[in-house]
Amino acid sequence: MLSYLISMTTFVGFFMILALALNLQWGMTGMVNFGIAGFYALGAYTSGLLTVEAGWPFLFGVAAAAVVGLVFGVALSYLSVRLRDDFLAIVTLGFAELVRLFALNEDWLTRGPRGLPIDVRPLSGVFDRDGYAIFYLGIVASAVLIAFLVNERIRRSPYGRAAKAIREDDVVAEVLGKNVLRIRIQIFGLGALYMAVAGALYAHYTQNISPDHFTPVVAIFIWMSVIAGGAGNNKGLLLGAGLVMMFLEGSRFLGEFISFMDAEKASAIRIILIGVLLILVIRFRPQGLMPEERFKGPSEI
Amino acid sequence: MLQVLFNGLVTGAILAPGAIGFTLMFGILRFPNFAIGAYITIGAFAILFFDQVAGWHIALAMLGGIAVTALVVWLTDLVVFRPMRQFPPISLLVVSIALSLILENVIRFIAGNDVRGFDIPLTRPVKLSGLMFTSEQLYLIALAVAAMFAMHAILKFTKLGKAMRATADNFTLAEVRGIDTDKVIAATWLIGGALAGLAGFLAGLDLVIEPLIGWHLTIPVFAAAILGGIGSPYGAMAGAVLVGLAEEMTALWFDPAYKVGVGFVIIAVLLLFRPQGLFGQPEIKK
Amino acid sequence: MKSAISRRRLLGTSAALTFTTALLPRLALGSAPISVGSLTPNTGGGGPFGPNITAAHKLVAEMANAKGGVLGREIALHQENSETNPETAIRAARKLVDVNKVIGVLGTWSSSVTLGIMPLCQEANVIQMCTSSSANIPLKDKKGLVFNFMVLSPIWGDALADLALRRGYKTYSVMALNNDFTKSMVDTFVDKVKAGGAKVSNDPFYYNGGQSSYRAEVSKLIADEPEAVFIPSYVTDFTSVYKELFRQGYEGKVITVSISTGSKFKKVVGAAADGILHGLPAPSLASAAYKDYLKFAGLKDTGAIQHPFGTAGHDQMSVLLLAMASAGTDDVAKVREHIHKISNGPGTAVTNVLDGLAALEAGEEINFSGASSDVDFKSPSGVLKSRDFVLWEIKDGKDVVIETIASAS
Repeated sequence: MLSYLISMTTFVGFFMILALALNLQWGMTGMVNFGIAGFYALGAYTSGLLTVEAGWPFLFGVAAAAVVGLVFGVALSYLSVRLRDDFLAIVTLGFAELVRLFALNEDWLTRGPRGLPIDVRPLSGVFDRDGYAIFYLGIVASAVLIAFLVNERIRRSPYGRAAKAIREDDVVAEVLGKNVLRIRIQIFGLGALYMAVAGALYAHYTQNISPDHFTPVVAIFIWMSVIAGGAGNNKGLLLGAGLVMMFLEGSRFLGEFISFMDAEKASAIRIILIGVLLILVIRFRPQGLMPEERFKGPSEI
Repeated sequence: MLQVLFNGLVTGAILAPGAIGFTLMFGILRFPNFAIGAYITIGAFAILFFDQVAGWHIALAMLGGIAVTALVVWLTDLVVFRPMRQFPPISLLVVSIALSLILENVIRFIAGNDVRGFDIPLTRPVKLSGLMFTSEQLYLIALAVAAMFAMHAILKFTKLGKAMRATADNFTLAEVRGIDTDKVIAATWLIGGALAGLAGFLAGLDLVIEPLIGWHLTIPVFAAAILGGIGSPYGAMAGAVLVGLAEEMTALWFDPAYKVGVGFVIIAVLLLFRPQGLFGQPEIKK
Repeated sequence: MKSAISRRRLLGTSAALTFTTALLPRLALGSAPISVGSLTPNTGGGGPFGPNITAAHKLVAEMANAKGGVLGREIALHQENSETNPETAIRAARKLVDVNKVIGVLGTWSSSVTLGIMPLCQEANVIQMCTSSSANIPLKDKKGLVFNFMVLSPIWGDALADLALRRGYKTYSVMALNNDFTKSMVDTFVDKVKAGGAKVSNDPFYYNGGQSSYRAEVSKLIADEPEAVFIPSYVTDFTSVYKELFRQGYEGKVITVSISTGSKFKKVVGAAADGILHGLPAPSLASAAYKDYLKFAGLKDTGAIQHPFGTAGHDQMSVLLLAMASAGTDDVAKVREHIHKISNGPGTAVTNVLDGLAALEAGEEINFSGASSDVDFKSPSGVLKSRDFVLWEIKDGKDVVIETIASAS
């Protein structure tokens, strides 16, 4: 049970980094991104391919993933920054699907549907199985902590307040002399960087990736985390990510109580339950479990 | 070339009712309802039930299924969306995603994952001066066009339609002017649901019926509605045909593996130059 | 919260255990059940197959439990849904391995799931039994713990090309669903057909499942009017594709894999299905094992291939349980050896878990033949030695055997 909890916590860690990234983009700046899986995949494949094919060490692979994520994030937001919310949702979703289709079809690079085995891991010979699980959880937890601290720092800074002003009303923010375009692109790029790093960590953890890992479902889970946890609140969405994972995985244990049903029906019930729980959370906690904190001090704007 | 246009038209006809339903609901309710795919699945299975279990004539089964879908969709509003009317659109989008998971799995719980089809024998094509088509495809197009005209007539000539347009233009103003917005909203769900039911019939004719049938149509339906300019039924129809054409041409002259992706690219490029969609009015920010 | 759940589960399990011990006097008192995991695609792309597989696992486990279990211990089956998605499947497998402490994870179907959970299964020393066709699987299986109940897909391509050539078709067009299973199959099919002097008239291409139409793909496929088309696929996409082929008036031969043309497919397309050629590595429908399976699963013998993957699920669980009984332990290293031993023989031929357990109890050695194949594995890898490959033609809505060949792998 303990090693199961450790591995689930590691998975929650990936979700948390993704949720923190989305919080930068959506929660703090108001930019919709349904292409989370695309950046996640970019990071995973970048680090995976560079470490496996080119023999780069783990840390370099992760760093390269960060750069690739940033570049694509900046490029995509530069192209689409003026779009309305719902259109941006489609464009980013389309981006993620293109990344997935590329990974699926360009076998020469990504090995396509056959999948990319990744045996490169940091310090892999040092620990035994359980020890390594804890060590890797430590790596992921550090990444979550760094992302969290950076987010909090931004939130409390004048820069973060400018981002928030853009979220509330970009025209007013523009009039007030904020460089709306630049801030949006920077924030989107930073969020994309987080997502790519999360992807790289995921790839070296699972040690085998294929395009099937990066379906739009990932984006759905992360949106659920942010909305349920509380958009704009970095602590809340950590809770949200944990909660979504608990919905997803905790419901497996229910399966043992309904084992009189055949597996097909039991699976259906489990997914229905996840949907109902989520709707209930949004219905009764519309601001999320932890609503965004309001600033007490005098406003900058 | 003519054949490609025709094929695009058929695909467009399958997408159109769903896209019109989606755009209608968006116009009044102001959020993208992701559950449109699940509504289409419900339509296909409801018709399948009347066709195969109850043994009705297919035309009757279609009408029955459409009615059931409209009711179910309206019920989802009563149970799920009504208490959340004032929520931000993105929260409602996430709710609608959760709802579509629920509906899809209710279907799976009842019917299982097996592939199914209506009790209609497949037919060979008719060839007419270089154009090849089947009778079903003609029915399909006719039904989609009929749905579009019916929608047009409702919006233009009935009192309800006028109230719907007014509500879509400005919800608060419509309320102030004494329009019963609750009734308008109920009508929107019922009509949107009926259109989804029809989409389920068309998709079931052309493709294979399984619990994911609507899910597979969700993205093209979204794309069609956005391309046409959200809130515009004619636009949605035109958008549907364009998406259909784009997909056909990509598969034919480029690489079928990228079919879905290239559709997205076209949408993205179009939106960059015409953010309000092809036929939508530019939206004035409040 | 977590601990509350686990406490409740613990109580539940021990209550169930006391109950079963009371009922089954043959169970040694105080011995813990043996946990076995079933991880199948109950939803998603493998949805049409997964429920059969896991139902077969359950069936065999219950049969064994009714006879007092294995090694005097009850078989506790833990069923999880992979959703045909490796991202989810990894967490499900984690639960099976770390919480339920299963000895093996059975029933993975899509190669991406089998490969996705392989690192963690290898690390935890857990047996995997799958029906996945990726040639990567034996390469990555460093510990020899993976047993594949399906032959690798290049062999399918080879066999189907062979069968098609014997029928004398001279020009072929090829398109396939885009996945691992079909990709290797297309490569070998094309090579073999060309080597046999026939022509492949198009540049083979791939389509994605779950599309809103397959019109353009089909037009592209039959543009050169080939004598035959080869379409490796799954049932969901193939049904849509075939409807379209028919509607575009294609009159040539359609060749595909039998998993796409089961009874549900025939029901959907009706009389239009006549003339399709399809092949599958399969037991002869007359084999005792297959007949047993039909009886256990409560199916009627229709003469058509039923439950192509459910039969494999039956064999997976049977082989695992018999190997444990034969090894006299649930130690993975020993069980692994005995999987090879009881599936390859020599010994008394058995076709189901009950006969096998009885024979082992009587001190005999056994050779298990399954409902899906003879189940003979190469050593040290868990790749099937050979499977009969059968080509059927659909005539009057029924599968008629045209030819059978043994394929060496």
